[in-house]
Amino acid sequence: MIEPLRMSSRALTPESAHLIETYLDRVQGAMLLTAGDEAADAVEDLRAHVLSELAETDGSPAAVSRVLGALGTPESLAAEYADDDAGRESRGSDHHSPGHGTFLGMPFDVRMPTTERIASRLWNPLDPSVFVPRVFGIGWDINFGAVAVKLGIVRPDDEDEPFATVPEGWLLVALAVPIAVCAVLVAMLVTRYAGMPAFAPSQWDVAGRPSAYWRKEALAAFLLAMSVVPTMLAARVFARRRPALNRVAAAAAATLLSTAALTQFVQTVRTLDGVHGAWLTWVGVGLTLLLPFALLTVLSRIGRAAEQRRDLADRPR
Amino acid sequence: MTTEADGRISQFRKGVVELAILGMLHRDEAYGGEIVEALSAHPGLAISAGTVYPLLSRLKKSGVIGSVWRESPVGPPRKYYRLTPAGETEFGEMIRAWDGVTGAMKSLLGRGVSR
Repeated sequence: MIEPLRMSSRALTPESAHLIETYLDRVQGAMLLTAGDEAADAVEDLRAHVLSELAETDGSPAAVSRVLGALGTPESLAAEYADDDAGRESRGSDHHSPGHGTFLGMPFDVRMPTTERIASRLWNPLDPSVFVPRVFGIGWDINFGAVAVKLGIVRPDDEDEPFATVPEGWLLVALAVPIAVCAVLVAMLVTRYAGMPAFAPSQWDVAGRPSAYWRKEALAAFLLAMSVVPTMLAARVFARRRPALNRVAAAAAATLLSTAALTQFVQTVRTLDGVHGAWLTWVGVGLTLLLPFALLTVLSRIGRAAEQRRDLADRPR
Repeated sequence: MTTEADGRISQFRKGVVELAILGMLHRDEAYGGEIVEALSAHPGLAISAGTVYPLLSRLKKSGVIGSVWRESPVGPPRKYYRLTPAGETEFGEMIRAWDGVTGAMKSLLGRGVSR
């Protein structure tokens, strides 16, 4: 049952009270869909506001209509509350969305990786952060775009859309890189596998001495999977004609993983040949990072050159 | 300062910086480094390249500004930004809204809000 509305000390007429309650009911109904638990509080605030505004009037239905009219329709008012609520949510969304956020200060993401997310993390020269939340897992990935900007190799706005103006032939070269690395790994496995002992070194300590051994079948299968699977996925991205950024990022990610697999196998082989040293590990890590970085920066420079040719072609130099 | 307060200030600043960039480009076209340098000269805006370039990219995608490469007299070509006709309209509307907000805030803060 609705209690009689009062404005200051005078009771409103039943007709005025009905107008107000009908309006507030519609606001609350619309807000239950958009603002949930905050609807009741918001309606109480609105009721107080309306009565305050009416205090200076005669409280007639005409005065009530004027005050309510100034608030807009109940539905638009509810939408404004919803927008405000959405704004608050978006500012803290990283900490509440399922599947990703931070845990003990470390970013994590366990959502299925997409080429869009891989691309935005691997190459984003607009973002000055070198370390960005990992695409999948806990920790950070390297934003090669930020590194290239810091080294002065590219400028943040060199390309309107990353790699969008890179000629198709060069995009295919990007895919050829991980394929070539895979081919080298397969060739090395074919030539060295038979002569390897049953257990082969798979990890090394800081001094470059072997610290773990795997069965050679398991090691070969692991390195092949690490190299071939991402390269096949990259080829699929190309076959599906995804945007240039997605294609290049997929090729760069495949290059990174296949180079890591190749350099690890090279270290295994060198260790079996009696060559030790931490430098082998560091060369491997360096190549693993350098190759995808070079691929991305070279293609970005090609894209920039294409934009410049487009804009400067008809201008006197 | 809380993270939420930081977020509010960040949102507020982005709106102001967007208007500042449109104002610069309303006067004349400019390249990215020039915009960053001009805005960085105002410490109150706390602007860095990391704020300006994503904003330029967003404004370009929304059609408010356009860009074109031009030869530079002192080095490699530069990408210059300028307002599009839609950007000129947007800028006019933003200026009117800004005048309304600043007028209202001056009036409200002038009534003795404790700081």
